[in-house]
Amino acid sequence: MTLLRQYLRAILSARKLLITTFLLCFGLMIYLPFLMIAFRSVGKGWFGRLWLPPELTLEWYRWAIEVTNIVDITKNTLIIAVLAVTMATLVGIPSGWAFGRRKIPGKELLMSMILLPRMIPPIAYALGVAQVFYRLHLINTHFGVALAHVAVCAPYAILVLSATFEGLDERVLEAASVCGANPVRTFFHVILPLILPGILSSMIFTFTTSYNEFTLTLMTYGKDTTTLPVRTYLAIGEGYWEVTSAMSIILVIPSIIVLFMIQRQVAPEKLVGGFKGV
Amino acid sequence: MLKRGSKARSTLFTLLMLLPGLAGFFGLFFYPMMVTVVRSFRPEGELVGWTGEHYVKFLSEPRARDVIVLTFVLSISATLCSILFSVVLCLVLRRKPRGHRFFRLTMLIPRVVPGLIGALGLLLLLGSRGWVNLFLIQFIPLVEEPIRFNYTIPGLILFYTWLYFPFTAVTTLSTLESLDPAIEEAADVAGANRWQVLRHVVIPLIMPGILAGSVLTFMAAFGAFSIPLIAGGNYRPLSVEIYKQINFTPARWSAASARAMIMAALQVAFLTFYMRILRRPSA
Repeated sequence: MTLLRQYLRAILSARKLLITTFLLCFGLMIYLPFLMIAFRSVGKGWFGRLWLPPELTLEWYRWAIEVTNIVDITKNTLIIAVLAVTMATLVGIPSGWAFGRRKIPGKELLMSMILLPRMIPPIAYALGVAQVFYRLHLINTHFGVALAHVAVCAPYAILVLSATFEGLDERVLEAASVCGANPVRTFFHVILPLILPGILSSMIFTFTTSYNEFTLTLMTYGKDTTTLPVRTYLAIGEGYWEVTSAMSIILVIPSIIVLFMIQRQVAPEKLVGGFKGV
Repeated sequence: MLKRGSKARSTLFTLLMLLPGLAGFFGLFFYPMMVTVVRSFRPEGELVGWTGEHYVKFLSEPRARDVIVLTFVLSISATLCSILFSVVLCLVLRRKPRGHRFFRLTMLIPRVVPGLIGALGLLLLLGSRGWVNLFLIQFIPLVEEPIRFNYTIPGLILFYTWLYFPFTAVTTLSTLESLDPAIEEAADVAGANRWQVLRHVVIPLIMPGILAGSVLTFMAAFGAFSIPLIAGGNYRPLSVEIYKQINFTPARWSAASARAMIMAALQVAFLTFYMRILRRPSA
């Protein structure tokens, strides 16, 4: 018993080592899957109990580009993401303004209503979206898929933008109106420059959401509007793990680069929140 | 008179500004949801008539109970694992060890990359030829054969935790950092040792933050679709069960809708229950 206690004490005194080990394991747990994908995508003849692929090749990337038509698919993904971001921002700016700056009776209720799509499992309303879109012939159009993405992106844009507008200083607006600027002029020359960072971060987050969106795309895509996540899913089903890995690397690198790029400008922690101001 | 007119105009303006948001909500969420509700009561493949047979049929299947239990087991265990892991991680990161900025970003990676890719990487890493099994075979005695992680329930829980713990971790970390250090110092001065400070002071104070974050993790895990779709194997939670119905030819929209309604109802019911537990300590 005393031995055990001594042992425990020794471990506790080695706190620093413990912390380092813990963080190291954490980092490995997060990054190793991607490293494994990366090696798989350039490895050849990697069978049996080998730590690393015996031969390196870029063949799988050529396959990914030629066979799975990744250029067109990337184009689709980007067109859809840009459309979705535009629509979500156009919805988000006026509504965010109203939420952030106006006294609305029952604001709390209205806000939780707007955030409801984030509380219901996406597959549940994706079913309804797919049925409605079939009737309106929006399936397999870029606009249709982007519109489906807006269902997920818009609540987020409204939330971020209402926080931005709430932080706007009233005195600046008063100064503008005292100087004789009409509301339209105030908006474009005073408000817009002030809220641009907020709009930008909302756009980055909605772009990431749309770029990664899978459930709603799967319910509304067609052969002309396949996006990267859906194509990856189909490739996994086809069972070519090497080609799938190559595609995944192409898909994942932009996301990670964007994350490391935007970390100084916007708090990326917001990316995982988006519910009751968390 | 003039003031009243301008007030009415400003109310109108506010309403006009709210309109796009409300239109988006009703057009893209509320209306599709209603379509799903109505569809779930229609006979299969028809657009007229009412029937409750899809609910009765699904709920009377013996498999239905397994599916629902599996969905809850996966999401609740993933939530518990993320709470445990996040608390340890946040307590470590709070001391600002070297490179803590890097680890803060690392924490967000599972949420930034598509869930499919994360699942693919984990499938490769934990597979019979993955590095984890290679490591176990070479360095841990008694392990001769590769251990099966993929397509098992513990493996799925690990996948879910990997993908959804950031929700809990981020809220826990922000609560932990807004904590007043004076409180801990006071406990320290009062003679509490490190463990007691943690157990009786820090953890109770950050509990609301942990629980709020875990709600997000639970919701994401309950609605998870892409991960069980590719990494679930024979284990199909509700979301995959719904998708399977519309993958039949001809698609069984009504059966899928009925399952979707059951899933939404279960989630709302559990969240209400959870929120009630959440509120209790403060009341």
